[in-house]
Amino acid sequence: MSDSTDTWRDRLSDYLDGALEDSERSELEEHLEGCEECRETLVELRQVVARAGSLVDAPPARDLWPGIAYRIRETEEGERRGKSFTFSVPQLAAAAVTLVALSSGIAWQIASGFSARQAEPAVSVAQAPAQTGLLLASRIASHDYESAIAQLERVLDVGRERLDTATVRKVEEKLALIDRAIDEARQALSADPSNAYLNQYLAGTMRRKLDLLRRTAALTEL
Amino acid sequence: MPDTDLDFQDAALAAEGDSGAFERLYRRHVTRIYGLARRMAGPDDADELTQDAFVRAWQKIAQFRGEAAFGSWLYRVAISVILGHRRRLAIHRERTAPEEWNREGQPSHERSSEIGMDFETAIERLPARARHVFVLHDVEGYKHHEIGRMLKITAGTSKSQLHRARMLLRATLA
Ligand SMILES: [Zn+2]
Repeated sequence: MSDSTDTWRDRLSDYLDGALEDSERSELEEHLEGCEECRETLVELRQVVARAGSLVDAPPARDLWPGIAYRIRETEEGERRGKSFTFSVPQLAAAAVTLVALSSGIAWQIASGFSARQAEPAVSVAQAPAQTGLLLASRIASHDYESAIAQLERVLDVGRERLDTATVRKVEEKLALIDRAIDEARQALSADPSNAYLNQYLAGTMRRKLDLLRRTAALTEL
Repeated sequence: MPDTDLDFQDAALAAEGDSGAFERLYRRHVTRIYGLARRMAGPDDADELTQDAFVRAWQKIAQFRGEAAFGSWLYRVAISVILGHRRRLAIHRERTAPEEWNREGQPSHERSSEIGMDFETAIERLPARARHVFVLHDVEGYKHHEIGRMLKITAGTSKSQLHRARMLLRATLA
């Protein structure tokens, strides 16, 4: 029988795997009696199956673990970062851009009245947001608040002697309260970085601090 | 302690975030997973797929409940990573003509004739579907209904692809 018409050939794997019905199996066995080609094919298929079953696994040529260990750390850190970024940064950034733009602009105005050296960092920050708000937004983080606050604190230090003692004490008390609130919010956030409420609370508290410093700094100008 | 017990212990530790325990699991199973990746996807992608499989296993290890041996669970994870890779590749690469030997992943320095060709190389050069079914059935010992589920094909298609693979591989037995 020729290859093209011998449909039994296509049944040989099923026969080998014991997957044929009884009736079909005996028919095929009958066919094998008279078909040398199918007999040969069956022998070869058996050899293929035997080879497949006796393959030996070779280990990879290089140690793949360092790459896995690296990626495991990455995904873990990514998950942590991802959680805190999802909610907090857009909110913080949106607030911070406005605040840094406003407050450092004012800081610059105040600082320019005192000394050129004090004013330098404030000027560079103050000019940036006006032109490149988007660029700034992309790199804004809570430390931008802190740098704005630090600038205002320097301004206040320089202008402190112009304020009366009562005002300084009042401002310092308020600042201490706000600082404690900021610390508490930060601690809570480190345990629950994705908490939207805490992020807003922290941003709000820092805004209060910035506002207080700004108003106080404005007083030193009078 | 038998390896399966060590596996359960280390899997539980790994689920708690112990990467040292996970490295021990890696060391015990990497050769088999690498062998699977190499035969299913070819030697060029085997390193990366092996790493992908272990990274996925680490991410999903909390879902391992110990109903089966860790090795079987890991195998399932690896197969789904390897097949997913295949599907991604299919978007970027032209499909191999069904009746041709598969040339994907064939190292350029190995241009041996089909007769006397290394059996492993011959497996690599099978058309993708036939190769997957052959590796899963004849090398790894899965049943047609299981392969059908993994590859999203019928058991009947799995059977005919297996036969096709075996018929093609006969040529290398000389
Ligand atoms: Zn025949």
